[in-house]
Amino acid sequence: MWTGLTLLAVEAAEATQEGGGLFDLDATLPLMAIQFLILMAVLNAIFYKPLGAAIDDRDTYVREAKGNAQERLAKAEKLAAEYEQSLAGARREARTVIEQAQAEAQKLAAQSQAAAQQEAAAQRESVQQELDKQKTAAMSQLETQVGSLSDQILGKLLGSAA
Amino acid sequence: MLNTLHLINSSIWAGPLAKLELGNHYYWTLGGLKLHGQVFLVSWFVGALIIGVAFLASRKIERVPSGLQNFMEYALEFIRDLAKDQIGEKEYRPWVPFIGTLFLFIFVSNWSGALIPWKLIHIPGGAELAAPTNDINTTVALALLTSLAYFYAGFRKRGLGYFAKYIEPIPLLMPINILEDFTKPLSLSFRLFGNILADELVVAVLVLLVPLFVPLPAMALGLFTSAIQALIFATLAAVYIGEAIEGHGEEEHG
Repeated sequence: MWTGLTLLAVEAAEATQEGGGLFDLDATLPLMAIQFLILMAVLNAIFYKPLGAAIDDRDTYVREAKGNAQERLAKAEKLAAEYEQSLAGARREARTVIEQAQAEAQKLAAQSQAAAQQEAAAQRESVQQELDKQKTAAMSQLETQVGSLSDQILGKLLGSAA
Repeated sequence: MLNTLHLINSSIWAGPLAKLELGNHYYWTLGGLKLHGQVFLVSWFVGALIIGVAFLASRKIERVPSGLQNFMEYALEFIRDLAKDQIGEKEYRPWVPFIGTLFLFIFVSNWSGALIPWKLIHIPGGAELAAPTNDINTTVALALLTSLAYFYAGFRKRGLGYFAKYIEPIPLLMPINILEDFTKPLSLSFRLFGNILADELVVAVLVLLVPLFVPLPAMALGLFTSAIQALIFATLAAVYIGEAIEGHGEEEHG
């Protein structure tokens, strides 16, 4: 194999005179360059330009859509905050209304309770007075009866003894 | 003449199998000029393949890409990123077709050379169909176009002030700076040519020695090398263009 490689070196030197070989530069070079430029022009027309435009369009579309979405999100968040605020206000109002009503009701209840108690006390007092009156009446009656009865007993006892 | 590389010169093995054809060309003549027909045949195939796929991909463009359009958009984004990284956000757009065509042409050429069994198609002149990039004419053409491209980029951007790069950072370095303009296309073309040819040779030699299974790792490695070479060529072209636009001394584009 090494002999082969040395042969390669020797033959490479010879090749230049006879044509052919590895380092055979000829008209292939400029034609290849022209061909490459044509390929570049064709690809620019059917590949780089349209697909590049598609990529850029998509980029701007995505960026715009993202911007819009962010704007809308911010708006929605603002609205939500507003609603939240008004909701909190309404809640607070409702609580004060309820508290007021409760206080009023309590006051009313206390008032009527006090009135009822007063009435009950008054009634009780009048009943008591009546009772007392009747009791004294009954007592005085009883006393008179006791006097007559004791008179009768006395008369009877004295009569029988006499 | 350099067309027979005797691999094994021992009398036992010497046979029709044990030699490798190299440097044979299928000559066409065009107005007295010699052309390498096999290179053009495969390069037409490569060009037609790229154009066909690009055409199918951009036939009806949709906002939500699918299938081939999606794939080619991925390729285009890859090329754009490559150009943007080397040339800069502001200037890269007009260079995308050049860098992209370099990458696609070299990549498809290399892979077609590695994947398609061209050797089964016989053409006259003892030549073999192979990747167009294993011919020095193709790689030198691409490298010279790259040189023209970066000179054009430099002149368009900075006018005659572009020549100031030869005396930067100090005039003493002028010979080296001038030499650079020759070494750039030279290294570009020979790197690509050498890698592709060497890869095809390694596979061919392994196939000669052990026709089954053993060449497979070398082939897989060849696919890898081919892709890397396409990437290197396109990246370096973009680097040179970016350098010419930006200038050595100034740091205006970051």
